[in-house]
Amino acid sequence: MIRVRNLFKSFGGQRLFSGLNLDISQGEVVVCIGPSGSGKSTFLRCINGLEYFQEGEIEVDGTALHSVNRIKPTGADREAIRQVQLKVGMVFQQFNLFPHMTVIENIIEAPIQVLRERKEHAVDGARALLQRVNLEAKVNSYPDQLSGGEQQRVAIARALAMRPRVMLFDEPTSSLDPEMVGEVLSVIRDLVDDGMTTVIVTHEMGFAREIADRVVVFDRGEIVETGRPETIFIQPQTDRTRAFLSRILKH
Amino acid sequence: MRRFLRISSLLLGICLLLYWAVPAPSTSGALENVKKRGYLLWGSDAEGGAPYIFPDPKDPAKLIGFEVDLADAIARELGVTAKQAQNAWDSLIPGLQRGDYDIAMNGIEITPQRKQEILFSIPYYVYTEQLVVRKDEERIQDVDDLRGLKAGTLSGTVAQDILMGLGGVDVKVYSGQVEPYEDLAIGRIDAVLLDLPIAAYYGKPNPKLRYAGRPVGEGFYGIAVRKGDADLQHAIDEILAKLLISGELKKIYDKWDLWNEAQEKLSAKVRDSSGYSGLEESRKAPVHTFFPMLLKGAGITLFISSTSMLFAIALGLVLTLARLYGSAPFNGLATAYIEIYRGTPLLIQLYILYYGLPNIGISLSPFAAAFLGLGMNYAAYEAELYRAGISAIPKGQTEAALSLGMTQGMAIRRIILPQAFRIALPGVTNDFIALFKDSSLVSIIAMVELTKTYTILAASTLRFFELGLIAAVLYFIMSYPLSLLARRLEEHLKGKRR
Repeated sequence: MIRVRNLFKSFGGQRLFSGLNLDISQGEVVVCIGPSGSGKSTFLRCINGLEYFQEGEIEVDGTALHSVNRIKPTGADREAIRQVQLKVGMVFQQFNLFPHMTVIENIIEAPIQVLRERKEHAVDGARALLQRVNLEAKVNSYPDQLSGGEQQRVAIARALAMRPRVMLFDEPTSSLDPEMVGEVLSVIRDLVDDGMTTVIVTHEMGFAREIADRVVVFDRGEIVETGRPETIFIQPQTDRTRAFLSRILKH
Repeated sequence: MRRFLRISSLLLGICLLLYWAVPAPSTSGALENVKKRGYLLWGSDAEGGAPYIFPDPKDPAKLIGFEVDLADAIARELGVTAKQAQNAWDSLIPGLQRGDYDIAMNGIEITPQRKQEILFSIPYYVYTEQLVVRKDEERIQDVDDLRGLKAGTLSGTVAQDILMGLGGVDVKVYSGQVEPYEDLAIGRIDAVLLDLPIAAYYGKPNPKLRYAGRPVGEGFYGIAVRKGDADLQHAIDEILAKLLISGELKKIYDKWDLWNEAQEKLSAKVRDSSGYSGLEESRKAPVHTFFPMLLKGAGITLFISSTSMLFAIALGLVLTLARLYGSAPFNGLATAYIEIYRGTPLLIQLYILYYGLPNIGISLSPFAAAFLGLGMNYAAYEAELYRAGISAIPKGQTEAALSLGMTQGMAIRRIILPQAFRIALPGVTNDFIALFKDSSLVSIIAMVELTKTYTILAASTLRFFELGLIAAVLYFIMSYPLSLLARRLEEHLKGKRR
């Protein structure tokens, strides 16, 4: 489903990735872990075209992104990026709901504007999704009237409304109060159980271990280890993984 | 509403205080003061003031004109020198009353109404009103043919009274004497009626214009002196009589080619100067008779402000989008536009639009020039407000929109701009209030809105104080609800993010 080949990216003269490779198959759940600044969020943003890269190729469900000119992307570049963004749903750490729209308007906006769905149809779909994330009661609320956990669940429903082939979660619980982490994770778990191809960047190690088919460990822009969660968490193969895990599990 | 009443009564109180605080004019010693001081300060308007008083084309720092020569002669006879004090022609008499100068001399017609306000010397010139039309004009033989046509003149002149008195003439009132002839030459108006010296200097030399009919009306220019300065008045009377008898006055007029047989009447008029009697009644009329004109002016002000604000809002949006998202030539052009329009005075922009463009063959109507001038100027400010609003939207909003498959344009239109507008809205409302008041500047381009209506009425009735208060109150009544709205919007947006 996702194929990353030889990804090079530098930023402000500093090399971030020098040749990343990763394959993710349909229905697979991949969790990216690693220290802050190790490049795992940037990697995720490269996959759906929010970040440019200088060399290499990313292919998502048959659509390829090549290294694109950051200053002057061509029409073809833009179109490829948009095709990928249509196939990939993204959930952000900061939710990024549209504050001037109600919950239901947030969800139906893209289906109506982008997919040209009829409004009644889009509203029906949105209601079903809200039921799925347990927020039927908040249909007409504005984002600032919701708790962080509720906002993140709306953001997930909004991404799902575009019927993506892949879902990306960029630290979905990092800005939540602890008591709200559970409700968001259970929605993600529910999604994964349905067979959605999913890539998650997270610091929730327990959740990573429970949900992942494969764990990818990032450190200083490199993938230092990939493997089944049991292997990574119990018998890590590299020193850098061990160092990271011992740091994080101490807390 | 209660707040409104409180503020209004406060304003009224301040005005009354100012009124009572103005000292009564001094009663004597004016002549002594002038002699002690060593110079005679005379008020006049040198802007477009040929042949009365105007900057010497060979040396613009020096003022020349037949009234300059006359002032020098009078000062010489008083044993002092003459010093000119510049003031707008409309405001010469109020300036005199305020004590800004000793006398006012600038083609001020002797009228019974003015005589109630100030003292006049004996006449120093007999003026007539000359009608000027375009060379190819066939409809107009004399002033009676003006009905249904557009005629221009100067604000507060006897010519204006004559035109208004005809009935059915669309009278365009200007504050300078150059502009009506310019507008006549390019066809904005059909005729200009003004004092013969003005017509001789500004109308006749223009190859596109010619005199029509014989001069009409006849009256006298007198030197204005404050009431209470009778000693100065008598001294000037004696000097004028002396200059007339000695032939020096004729020499001055000959020099400026202004002597004609009408001037013979000066000697006969040495003691009796009744002058032209015009619309006396309107000058004593109760204040409410001016309301319809002032309200009409207010309506025009409101119309110009609203339409040009809408234009500014739309053009500002185009500028912002070009500046933030446009590619190479467009973003630079938008930035240059914004900087140039913010960095130059609106007044000059209006002058260029209305009086400058005809030089290169583009002639705008007063409304078009006002609409474009105000709108294009404020667009620059609106663009900056939107830009601030757009920069205040977190980057995550665009990223969320793009990740949902929206195009850049869709994200701007549906997600960024609606939020940016909410942020910019209080600023836009404030700008509307500012534009509303700046719209008074378009009075310089022959647009008769509230301020122009006020200056016209005030110049012809000399009731600057009460009419000024009424005009100010009208502006306030229109702008106050706007500022209430702006404040409520600000509070609303502070409370909630949406």
